[in-house]
Amino acid sequence: MMWVVAVWVVLMCVSGCGRSRVGQREDEAEKVNVIRVWSHQGQEAENRAMREIAEAFNAAHAQRGVRVELTFFPDFQYAEKLAIAAAARDLPDAFDLDGPMVARWVEAGLLAELGGFWTEEELDDFLPTIVEQGTVDGRLYALGAFDSAVVLYYDRVLLAKAGVEVSADVDAKGWTWDEFVAACGKLKTAGIEPVAMHMDESADEWFTYAFSPVVWSGGGALIAKDGAEVRGVLASGENVWSLRAWQTVFAKGYAATDPVDPNPFGNGKVAMDWSGHWMARGHLAAKGGRLGAMRLPRVGEKAVAPCGSWAWGVSARAKNTELAALWVKWVTGVETGVVPIVRANGAVPARRTAFTFFPEYAEPPYRLFREQLETAARARPRTPYYATLTGRFAAALRDIARGAEVEARLRQAEAEVQAVVERREEGRR
Amino acid sequence: MTRWEQERGRSAGWFLTPALALLAVFVVWPLVRAGVWSFTNADLLSPERARGVGVENYTGLWEDGRFRRAFLNTWMFALLVVPAQTAGAFFLALWVNRPEREWQWLRVVFFVPVVVAMPVLAVLWTLLYQPAQGGEMGPVNAALGVFGVPPQAWLRDPALALPAIALMSVWQGVGLQMMVFLAGLQGVSKELLDAAKIDGAGAWQRVWHVVVPAMRNTIIFVVTVTTILAFRIFVQPYLMTRGGPGNSTLSLIQSVYETTFVSQDLGRACAAAMAFLVLVGGVAWVQRRVLKEERE
Repeated sequence: MMWVVAVWVVLMCVSGCGRSRVGQREDEAEKVNVIRVWSHQGQEAENRAMREIAEAFNAAHAQRGVRVELTFFPDFQYAEKLAIAAAARDLPDAFDLDGPMVARWVEAGLLAELGGFWTEEELDDFLPTIVEQGTVDGRLYALGAFDSAVVLYYDRVLLAKAGVEVSADVDAKGWTWDEFVAACGKLKTAGIEPVAMHMDESADEWFTYAFSPVVWSGGGALIAKDGAEVRGVLASGENVWSLRAWQTVFAKGYAATDPVDPNPFGNGKVAMDWSGHWMARGHLAAKGGRLGAMRLPRVGEKAVAPCGSWAWGVSARAKNTELAALWVKWVTGVETGVVPIVRANGAVPARRTAFTFFPEYAEPPYRLFREQLETAARARPRTPYYATLTGRFAAALRDIARGAEVEARLRQAEAEVQAVVERREEGRR
Repeated sequence: MTRWEQERGRSAGWFLTPALALLAVFVVWPLVRAGVWSFTNADLLSPERARGVGVENYTGLWEDGRFRRAFLNTWMFALLVVPAQTAGAFFLALWVNRPEREWQWLRVVFFVPVVVAMPVLAVLWTLLYQPAQGGEMGPVNAALGVFGVPPQAWLRDPALALPAIALMSVWQGVGLQMMVFLAGLQGVSKELLDAAKIDGAGAWQRVWHVVVPAMRNTIIFVVTVTTILAFRIFVQPYLMTRGGPGNSTLSLIQSVYETTFVSQDLGRACAAAMAFLVLVGGVAWVQRRVLKEERE
């Protein structure tokens, strides 16, 4: 019966897998201008806020006959879902994507340039990190409504108990690595577990995001500036040195390599927490005045803070780029997007004027989030190979924390990333 | 061929059409697509830009250190799991093959891990294997400690991680094969066993000379299915170690998955997937040739 199979295969080839459906959708869209929008699913409060933002948009644009149609996809499969949609030529008009992935989407020619839709003045109101994360080769492709921060939270009472002194200006400056290790040592001697590094985090991105500042503060980088060379960069002498310093924290038992408890700081089991803005509300509620927060410890001279978050882009294949950009403007607008979404998810507002809506930013730890984003933050590398880079680097960090030889392990990661880079660079030539 | 037979042949074609159509759409067509892509440099995000690159994706596979490692790991895993799981299931089946209630209950116990979702079991075994740290020693190390064995970092040691995952996988899968063997055991003639007993054969001899030959086809089936399942290893190492430490538990499926969705190198991923298909198909084919089934 092979002929039946053969006929079907031929039929499928000819019909091109339901391409007619796309045409139908265009017919419908002619009556009302529907902007198809996809977003990752966050916490329930965040999703509710997103839906309200979309409803407000629809109400405000009803007279023009413009409407958004918002679809959520679970966070853990969202990146795959987007990639498959791109492959099937079924991308929505606008969608959010993780900041470091922007360069890859630009390389594939799938993001429309957005620079023209904002005035210079409007762009100045965004945090520089948010503009930096969405800019590839000097052109703007994505903007987000919120940013992020990682700090070293500490419990004043527990530190005092171990005789660790925290000087008044340390919050803004952060410790040197030696000061950090010395503080850990005192805590350990006093019988207090020193610090949580969240090595149980299942997402690879946590490792690159939270610990790249260690590499950067030591003068190193993850990938060369052109974004297409890791040889001699990822396993550079600086990085080996910085990550050896990082490794000592685990080797000496100051931080758990395989923690079981996701929030040991919140329930008083450890004295310090290397963690993000998303823990601020919980930590404040648990500790009140005992809570302190300082910049991440630095290996070299300069403290560097991580940053970046979800960003909105417009598909290069959008039916109407201008309408899709209208949505992005709305969702990154101060009162239309930033304030409601930040109220819901507790992230750091991406726009300077939005801070006036959040009085907590006058106080620590929030004040520190803004301060370090404006003065010390660095976006993760903008390279089309970011996904591979972060995956291999995260795997190396996991192994290094558990005792792998730093230089050899970094070299392995370097070779693996370089192999992927070279294959693709060759293919393109 | 008579006219009636011809008629029947023609209508059979129509009855087969729905099934064949579904197969064509959901199996043959994707396979053809993947096969075509495997000879191009297709990018997952923009496959329409693909250019033909000949067999380069295939020849390059072996030069790719991660793929090579995944290939060896997967073989190693199959070599550890297939004999252990087949033999284990066989003896468990012999053991629980009794009509009393208590033994039926035991069958259920051995079958439970087959029914529970793999991610749950992966988390459970990660905790069981927990190395001694921060006073949270896992039960495996605690149990071995009774016999004076020092605690091991089971999933963190490149030499131990794959065997540890293999052990967990055997435990998880053994119940299913046990059920198949149990069914097979019901077909072993009671008269034959009694005759062997009267002739003075011991328990061991009865198993080896009567039960095993009588269950030949069941054993072949179990070995083949277990092999195919073993080669498809993915969830356990992906959740328990992410393929680490180093690449010591990286599986072929994880390697294909990452090539598709992380490096988004669709052409290479399709080549790896086709190679995987040929590998598993080839192994199953060789097994069928070597271990011929008996058919009356």
